[in-house]
Amino acid sequence: MSEPRFSRKTMAGSAVIVAALVILPYILMTLGKRGEYWIWVITEMVIMALFAISLNLILGFGGMVSFGHSAFYGTGAYTVALLIKKAGFPFFLALAAAPLLAGAAAAIIGWFCVRRIGLYFAILTLAFSQLLYMIAFQWYTFTGGDDGIHGIHRPDFFGPVHYYLFCLAILIASLLVMRMITRSAFGLAIRTIRENSERAKFIGIHVQRYQLLNFIIAGAFAGISGGLITELNRFAQTDFLHWTKSSEPIFASLVGGMYSLIGPVIGSTILMFLKIVLQQIHQSLVEIWALFLGLILLLVVLFAPEGITGLYQKFVRKT
Amino acid sequence: MEINFLLFQLLNGLTEGMILFIVASGLSLVFGVLRVINFAHGSLYMIGAYLAFSLSTRFPQFTLGPYLLLMILVPAGIAAIGLLLEVTLFRRIYGKEHLLQLLLTYALVLVLDDLVRLVWGGDIRNVPRPPSLAGSVEFLSLSFPTYNIFILLLGPAIALGLWWLLYRTHAGNLIRAAVTYPEMLGALGTNVTWVMTGTFVLGCVLAGIGGVLMSALANIDLGIAMEKIIDCFAVVVIGGLGSVWGVLLSSLIIGVGKSYLSLILVRLAMVFPFFVMALVLVIRPWGLFGKPER
Repeated sequence: MSEPRFSRKTMAGSAVIVAALVILPYILMTLGKRGEYWIWVITEMVIMALFAISLNLILGFGGMVSFGHSAFYGTGAYTVALLIKKAGFPFFLALAAAPLLAGAAAAIIGWFCVRRIGLYFAILTLAFSQLLYMIAFQWYTFTGGDDGIHGIHRPDFFGPVHYYLFCLAILIASLLVMRMITRSAFGLAIRTIRENSERAKFIGIHVQRYQLLNFIIAGAFAGISGGLITELNRFAQTDFLHWTKSSEPIFASLVGGMYSLIGPVIGSTILMFLKIVLQQIHQSLVEIWALFLGLILLLVVLFAPEGITGLYQKFVRKT
Repeated sequence: MEINFLLFQLLNGLTEGMILFIVASGLSLVFGVLRVINFAHGSLYMIGAYLAFSLSTRFPQFTLGPYLLLMILVPAGIAAIGLLLEVTLFRRIYGKEHLLQLLLTYALVLVLDDLVRLVWGGDIRNVPRPPSLAGSVEFLSLSFPTYNIFILLLGPAIALGLWWLLYRTHAGNLIRAAVTYPEMLGALGTNVTWVMTGTFVLGCVLAGIGGVLMSALANIDLGIAMEKIIDCFAVVVIGGLGSVWGVLLSSLIIGVGKSYLSLILVRLAMVFPFFVMALVLVIRPWGLFGKPER
């Protein structure tokens, strides 16, 4: 975090990783049917990584515990689904609308929630996300209720590999934008508020306004990830808005480490792998997915609150 | 008929509000002493309701006796679960960052809710009312369900009992001392750790009682934990944490408000707690009975 620019080592390392990620689907393609499945899996991984880093803007970076981030993921998903299905929007236009609407939802919900930071913020975000879930569940004529919205068309030029590369590009672009945000004057103010909001107030930072803005930015990024997942699966459903969905990016941030930008990406990927491994062992294990998530979360909170990247720094780097 | 119907709806709302009060007062009590918001409180309430269901099927004839036995066995069972959770988990996080406390109880919700689904499945369940509580009471030529009357009498009794315990007994003195000055209480030779454990267990007992009462009032399913904890949060936001009367009044507001709005539109009733919560946040962010923070 300390060096202001990418070091040469980081640059080279990132370039290698990105190159590997770009080549990966082409290697998978040679595996035939099984490869197609894995391309779908890595696409979902990329999208979930975006969802995780969007939450971490609030959680690790802003120090605000939100249990309702699924609200904006779901808003993005339903925005894309409804605009394409009901209004006949082209894909890119619908996807561009996802962060706007998710950001707007975050502005409205956040406007209420930032009034009580700390414990109350956590319960308020959970409550308001549950409200969106109930609306999507009940408003059958508009959202399809628990059937969701199915059969969303994807442009023909988007094969599985192209769509994966498209999502990867968005993830990398988002990471760069977030890197810029966290290092800007705004980012510094947010970190100051996290460390000591009282002092931040004394030096003239409008705490609530900054927190709200951060909440909106995080919501908008979550909206993009929701929009992307709708396109991948070609449906949107109420599960996207359910409170258990919010636990996934929390889990990813905590396991991967909340105090680094890339931590949640690692955590999210571990999480997805875990899900697949469980699925391979026995299909029924996925049904108790929340139980696994909860148990691991308990262990991490009790024994490794700094996450995997924290453990890495503790034992490998010894900083 | 009209006035009868409106009164009936009032009674329903007050009944729901009274159960909400019993559950929410447990949450509020635990927060007051331990400074931890227990997200899993709603899950403990749900386990209480399912436990009541399982036990009720064991009796060939479910009369008043077995029902009252449930009222003791189920809260005792939830208390035992609470004791286990407190000693193994909660005790490790007192005084730690809010973030870790919130994440721990949240993780517990994921675990407990899934365990309930594993044990009891997703079917809708209910507990029969014992015959002596199943009828109705005639009053001013109107008839009211006995079970609702029973809850309406039990609620204030529990409120009074809680008040008596907190303000008229030695245990209550210790609990209140632990709220204001735990270090001094420890220095005076009291084992503060066990005062905290006791308070947590008491909170669990209240969740358990709420669960039993609810199980014979309405159908129970896997959604009731989240529904109740959200209502509890609304109560806490509206009334302000720590005030017993604030919890009672806002519980009744939510219960009655939901009940009347459901006459117009069920969806409107569901949104009601959120609406009141948002309103209070704008007008008095610290709650109707709370005090502004520093």
